[in-house]
Order: sequence, then structure tokens, then C-alpha cells
Amino acid sequence: MSDAFVLESAEAIGRSVLSRERSAGDVARTFLDRMDRTAEQLRTYLHRDREQTLAMASAVDARIARGERLTPLAGVPVALKDNLCTRCVPTTCGSKILEGYLPPYDAHVVERLREAGAVFTGKTNCDEFAMGSSTENSAYFPTKNPWDLERVPGGSSGGSAASVAAGEAPLALGSDTGGSVRQPAAFCGVFGLKPTYGAVSRYGLVAFASSLDQIGPIARTARDTALLYNVICGRDERDMTSRAEAAAVPLEDLERGVSGLRLGIPRDLIGEGVDPEILASLDRVAKALAKKGAEILDVSLPHARYSIATYYLIAPAEASSNLARYDGVRYGFRAKTDDLQAMYAVTRGRGFGREVRRRILLGTYALSAGYYDAYYLRAMKVRTLIRRDFEQALTRADAILLPTTPTPPFKIGEKVDDPLAMYLNDIFSVPASLAGVPALSFPAGMTKANLPIGLQLVGRPFEEATLLRVARTWESENADAARVPRLLSERRS
Amino acid sequence: MPIDAKVVHDVAALSRLQVDPSEEARLVKELASILSYVEQLQALDVSGIEPTSQVGSGSKPPLREDRVKPSDVRDEALAQAPDRDGDYFRVPRVV
Repeated sequence: MSDAFVLESAEAIGRSVLSRERSAGDVARTFLDRMDRTAEQLRTYLHRDREQTLAMASAVDARIARGERLTPLAGVPVALKDNLCTRCVPTTCGSKILEGYLPPYDAHVVERLREAGAVFTGKTNCDEFAMGSSTENSAYFPTKNPWDLERVPGGSSGGSAASVAAGEAPLALGSDTGGSVRQPAAFCGVFGLKPTYGAVSRYGLVAFASSLDQIGPIARTARDTALLYNVICGRDERDMTSRAEAAAVPLEDLERGVSGLRLGIPRDLIGEGVDPEILASLDRVAKALAKKGAEILDVSLPHARYSIATYYLIAPAEASSNLARYDGVRYGFRAKTDDLQAMYAVTRGRGFGREVRRRILLGTYALSAGYYDAYYLRAMKVRTLIRRDFEQALTRADAILLPTTPTPPFKIGEKVDDPLAMYLNDIFSVPASLAGVPALSFPAGMTKANLPIGLQLVGRPFEEATLLRVARTWESENADAARVPRLLSERRS
Repeated sequence: MPIDAKVVHDVAALSRLQVDPSEEARLVKELASILSYVEQLQALDVSGIEPTSQVGSGSKPPLREDRVKPSDVRDEALAQAPDRDGDYFRVPRVV
């Protein structure tokens, strides 16, 4: 099978497996061979197991041979971020404190994918406990951007986004707390959807900041993004925030065009410091969509500029509480000490990396007696103002269009010693997280230096279909489906 | 209150997190820089604004039925223990 096959859409691969044109085993072998050539170079995976992947694929072939009715994802390879629990398969969250941890259960989304007949390629690298925007905070190694190996793939779902961009898997799951699906999708030139808060059950997603965490799909086309979303969305009684309103998006709805849709651009948020090539891309896409019948208008999100300050109180506060469970008693790493109190402190001090320790301290400080009102409570009130901004803007507009990131992918090491500069890179993705509304990053061209540009669409709760439809309209005339980074090993061969 | 080595030390104790003395100066600097950035929230008037602790879009979730379900993971869960004694997790001396 030719290597071009790895660039086919998940939709096409699934169709060919269901029609028995190809076996799931053949599909899996093709992708495994591809990964053998690219994964070490990109460092996309924390855990891969060829035999397990092939066993999953032959189980799918057996189900098809038995005449079982499978979904469009039958035999389709899917990469999983390493903070999604997979039964008896290592799940580390990119942390030393969970090195060697084998969860005794599957996450809800993992169960759904198994039933659907998807085949897992492995567990992808990420910033430790999903805290970061570059995947440099992985305790194991940094992942590289497939478009430029000296640059970061974004984060925290950097391994998932880079893997899909490089043709190692047509689909991947990531998690998004303040932009961790959308920002790496933008940096790697792929689609990344953060669903509405409550659209996807987090059962089995290792918790970071529970009022913000969502699991989201990463893919190379809008239709593939919908296919994966359709498998994971909906009510699950094991996550009390999950909602039945989250319904599958019919693929034909994506082809309806944008005629009559109102798209708002928040010019007050997109201020200084945004890369001119990204601004030019925003204008180009707005004009193209207007030509297709969309109405472009200005909307205002006056409090969105306070998002980073709000987020860096709320998310660390929740993280400091969620990460209290890593105490060295029941699983994971334990430091050898003489007494219990020392064991907790040394285990956590050595087991957590720099960024995680920083956020635990920040969150504990923001919640501590005497500071709670000034920091955490105030941040929760500002969050209300940010939510209202979106409610208002989304009565005037059906969706909001803005950049995903202020800059193209930055160099590895460039921001690693300046946490605040790293945080500020998330200024366009964090607002939708705080408001709990759905947001989609889609590829919108390349810079002159051949780096991907991502733009973002934000919509009303449970209106993922609208976002995918707008992105699909742009994609259908502008995307070069075969566009994939040329990796060094391929140049050499 | 300005962040200094003592504050970092106290918060680390509350967090059950050992901070290496060689790290303290860097942490003081980084936390001070982040806290100085979040100061901008003090300029906003939030009087009468309800805090958002959770965004709940859509319907109230139905309560699940209260019934016992099997969960046969005891041995697998115990197998993850860094130290165990039979069916117990073993920890260092408590007092």
C-alpha cells in the first residue's frame, strides 16, 4: 500500500474497511509503518504497542466478518492523548508521578471508540497534566512541530495534533481546558474542536480544572472532526456535567453553506500584538465567507481581555485541589522516606514537574485564607462578566470568528523560562473555555515561512454543527487536502 | 501581601509539596510576576455580580438510579500500589 494512503480522510478509510475493500489489519499496518518512520523524529507518542494495535484491528475485521453493524469509524486509527485512561495500557499524563500507571478502566470516550471499531495507534505526548501550550512541559521529552522541527507543536495536546498533521493517524483525541486542543491544532495546521462544556463525558479523563476541561477531536478535515465528535458526544451518567442536548452532527448539515449566517468579529479583543499574517488571513477568510453569503459584523467582548488573569486564578485553584490525589499511596511514584508527611511532600516535590508545582502553589495561594475573596472569588465573578459578553455577542451573531493564536508556532525553548509569556499565547482560546461555549480551530493557510495559521469559530452552546459548517464552507474551496508536512526522513529517502 | 520566600514556604507546606531551597528564589520571582499580572482584575467593578463556579448549559442533568453495580477491579487497583501488604496499601510510619 502506498504512503499516500495515510493522507486519506478517516471517512474514506472507514468506508473502505466497511465495504471490505481493505481490512482493518492492512490499514493498521500502513499507519504503524508510517509511524515507525516519523514518530521517533517528531516524538509524538509516549506509548505505542504494535501488537496491541494489530490485535485491535483484527478484532474489528472479525466483527465485520461476523456481519456486525459497525460505525463509519470501523478500522480507523485514532491517537489518544495520554491523559485519557485506557484499561491496562500506560497512562501517564506526561508526568513522572504516573510513570508505569496502568488504569483498571477505560475512559468513556475510549469505550465509545472501542464499540465504534476504532483502532488505537497509541498514547500521545502532552504537557504534564495538560498544563502548558507547547508540550515542552512533558516530563519525558518535547514533541516537534511537523512543519518545522525546531518549533513547538503547541500544547497541551501537542502529540495528538502533530500526529494527525504528520499522517500518523487520521484522527486523535485531545483535551482542552484553556485551548489545549485548539492551539496545537492551529500550530500543526489541522482541525481541533473544543465542544460545549457538558457535550462530552470526562469520565476517565484525568482531571486538571474540572469547571473547564473538555475532550475534543482533532482531524485533517471538518467532516472527519464531526465523525469523531459524533462518536464521543452525549449523556453519560458517570459525568454529572454531561448533557443529552449534545447530539451528533449530521454530515450533510456541513454542506449547507453559510448563506444568511451572521459572523461576528471581536475587533476589540484582536488588538495589538497579533501577527500581521494572521490578521491578513482573518480578513481573507471573512471576505471569502461574505462572498458565500455570510453577513460579517463587529461584535464586542469587552471583558475577554481579562480572560488570562481570570483563568490563571481559576484553573490553578481547581488543579491544586484535583492534584491532591497524587500522594504516593495508591498508585504511581512514591519517594522513599521515614514518615508519612515527608512521603507526601517528597513524592509530590519530585514527582511533579516545574509547571505543575508552580500551578499547585499558585492555586493553593489563591484559595488560602485571606486571599480567597480577592483572588478566587473575584475571578469567578469576572468569569460571569465574560460569559455575559458571549451571550450578548451570540445573540447578534451566529458565530464569532477570531484567530486561534496571536502568533504562528514559536521556537522550542523560546518561552520556556517565562511562564507569563507562555500564558499570554492563549488569549484567544481561553475566553470560550471560561464561557463554556463550543470553539473550533480550523486551518486557514500558511505564513510566508510555511507555518500553519489557525482561525477560530466560537458558537452558542451545543451548536457545534454551525461551527463545523462554516469551517467546511471555507475548507471546501481553499484547503489543499494533500497538504502535509514533508518530514526529514522522507527527504532523505 | 508581597510574595517572599516565607510565603512560598508556607504555601508549599499547605500543598504538601517539598520545594528545594535552590528553587525558592525563582519561584518567588515567577509567582510575583503572575500575581502582579492578575492584579488587573482588582480594577473591575464586580459588585452585585454572581460568581460562576460552573457553566451549566442546557437541561438539569437527570439523576441516575441509585443501584449497586459490580466493579471488579480490586486486584487490578491493588496491583498499582507502590507498596502493599496483602489487601492493604502500606505507608510509612504515621506517628
